[in-house]
Amino acid sequence: MMQGPAGPSNTVETTAPVLGIGAVGKRFGATRVLQNFTLEVAEGEIVTLLGPSGCGKTTLLRCVAGFWEPNGGTIEIDGQDIVDVPVNRRPVGVVFQSYALFPHLTVARNVGYALRMRNRPRAEVAQRVASVLETVSLTGFENRYPSQLSGGQQQRVAIARVLVMEPRVLLLDEPFNALDAKLRGAMQVELRQLIKRLGLTSIFVTHDQEEALTMSDRIAVMSGGKIEQVASPDEIFDRPATAYVADFIGVSNFWETQAETGHVRLPDGQTVMTDLTGGVKVMTRPHNLRLGPPEAGPWKGTVSFHRNVGPLIEYHVEASDGNVIRVSAMRQERDRPVKDRSQVSLSVIDPASCSVYPG
Amino acid sequence: MKWFRGRSLVDVVGIGLVLAVAVFSLVLLVAPSIIVVVISFDTRAYVTFPPAGFTLRWYKAVFEHGELVEAMLNSLQVGLTVTVLCIVLGVPTALACVRGRFRGTTALSVFVLVPHMVPGIVLGVAVLFAGALVGVSPSIWLQSISITVFIVAVMVRTVQSRLMRLDPALEEAAANLRATPFQSLRTVTFPLLMPAILAGAVFTFVEGFDNLSVAIFTHGFRDRPLPVELLALVQYTSSPIVAAVSGVQIVLAIAALVVVSTSIGLDKVNE
Ligand SMILES: Nc1ncnc2c1ncn2[C@@H]1O[C@H](COP(=O)(O)OP(=O)(O)OP(=O)(O)O)[C@@H](O)[C@H]1O
Ligand SMILES: [Mg+2]
Repeated sequence: MMQGPAGPSNTVETTAPVLGIGAVGKRFGATRVLQNFTLEVAEGEIVTLLGPSGCGKTTLLRCVAGFWEPNGGTIEIDGQDIVDVPVNRRPVGVVFQSYALFPHLTVARNVGYALRMRNRPRAEVAQRVASVLETVSLTGFENRYPSQLSGGQQQRVAIARVLVMEPRVLLLDEPFNALDAKLRGAMQVELRQLIKRLGLTSIFVTHDQEEALTMSDRIAVMSGGKIEQVASPDEIFDRPATAYVADFIGVSNFWETQAETGHVRLPDGQTVMTDLTGGVKVMTRPHNLRLGPPEAGPWKGTVSFHRNVGPLIEYHVEASDGNVIRVSAMRQERDRPVKDRSQVSLSVIDPASCSVYPG
Repeated sequence: MKWFRGRSLVDVVGIGLVLAVAVFSLVLLVAPSIIVVVISFDTRAYVTFPPAGFTLRWYKAVFEHGELVEAMLNSLQVGLTVTVLCIVLGVPTALACVRGRFRGTTALSVFVLVPHMVPGIVLGVAVLFAGALVGVSPSIWLQSISITVFIVAVMVRTVQSRLMRLDPALEEAAANLRATPFQSLRTVTFPLLMPAILAGAVFTFVEGFDNLSVAIFTHGFRDRPLPVELLALVQYTSSPIVAAVSGVQIVLAIAALVVVSTSIGLDKVNE
């Protein structure tokens, strides 16, 4: 690792990434599952891999954990290439989707497993197991078997079992899949707070965008074994780098048009700046659109559907060009929603919040 | 449609079939065993039914009958040898068939089955002739090895089916939690396979102890196993001593059943 002279001025170490994945590829026969995959994760950061089923999220985790060997590329932890380090010597902890708790061992023995494999003295094992169980609020469950625990408790055992070995990097593959929707929401917040408190550098895998927005410091949106965009949840949502990312995260409206020199004209007559020329796709979120009376603007349509989603009301508007545009507005109790089949006009609230992509 | 006391036709036929099977097995299996046990306590010196009185004489006679005791010890030795060989050969074979990353795992698991498909007599004769060709004469070891070849498939299949139901992530988790491949086998794979190994061990022991078809051609001239000795005995005598030997075997069989059912029962407790 590159280092400056020893002493307090040594800041290189704190800014260097804990985990560096460089140009990793993975093939199964002729199918390329990962291509030129590059990602750096900083100390204490939670990066989420988000993408549709089969895009290679699990494959990447398995390469980092060492269950599979990548076909080329480097995987570094604290500057050390670990591609040739065997699974059981990597400073990496994996929380499996199925939890993979040992059914024949009690909670305490599951959690102490890694320490026993390293032949730590009994007293130390007992003390560290107790302290980790306290961290995940499972004190008192030491002598239960995994089958005697609820799904949420099993998940916490799976996390405790990994925490006890103080890994440099934590890998979590869809750890909430086995939980019901309500518990999932609570566990997401709890797990994020725990990881942040312990300052663990983590890669978290999911194909649930809401989960990604909750859990992450940064989100890496994947498609077909490659990263489309890595950025903070806000930036991914507000400034998606590609049409694919915009489409994958949140609800998005697209329309195709021609760019003029330096700008694109929106259907309501406003303009958006762009460097692109020729055919382009313009995207905006439903909350950046507004409904008005039919005579208020040139962009007209008919409401085809509306529904109440808690604090918001969501409209589907069939525009005169045939596009179905989704619009959402804060719901006020005294307001009557615009009725289905009524004629309306559409307008963009803030043209600068629209994104323009090559067509 | 309700047909009989609120049950449908399918139910009635189903219950009838279950009863028929139960009666059938009772008549064919349990009844003869009971008769044999009853006869083994009979006071008269020839096999009749019903018995005339109660005595432990025949059991005493069994254990005073030098050749029978020796035959039992021989069979015990064969049973244990077969069990040990089946564990040593069968468990790694099952692991290789299920977890193996090499070509031919399917071929291997089919190949293991082949000797079990061949009738025991054919296998016994084949071993005898092949042995004669290469100068290996029948002995208690040849018998043990032949029965192992015949029965190892049972151990492989039992362990294999258990292994296929084990989540492969368990072994990956062990490796991730710092276990060496050997530690992972010792602390995760083997404990979880134990019920299957135990069940396989009981089956292979019983086969080693009890096998006649392979044993009759391969046993050592001076080391007669129990089934062969019994066959000789019933050819020349009809005393209840044979029934008493059967009584001993029935007790062994019940003990084996108890071991299997509790080991499978234990298996359920932890899952
Ligand atoms: N052992 C394997 N042999 C061949 N192809 C595989 C193997 N494992 C995975 N793949 C393929 O690699 C691709 C990526 O799989 P991966 O499990 O990484 O997807 P994922 O992003 O985790 O999907 P999911 O969200 O469904 O878990 C898939 O197309 C899959 O079919
Ligand atoms: Mg996956």
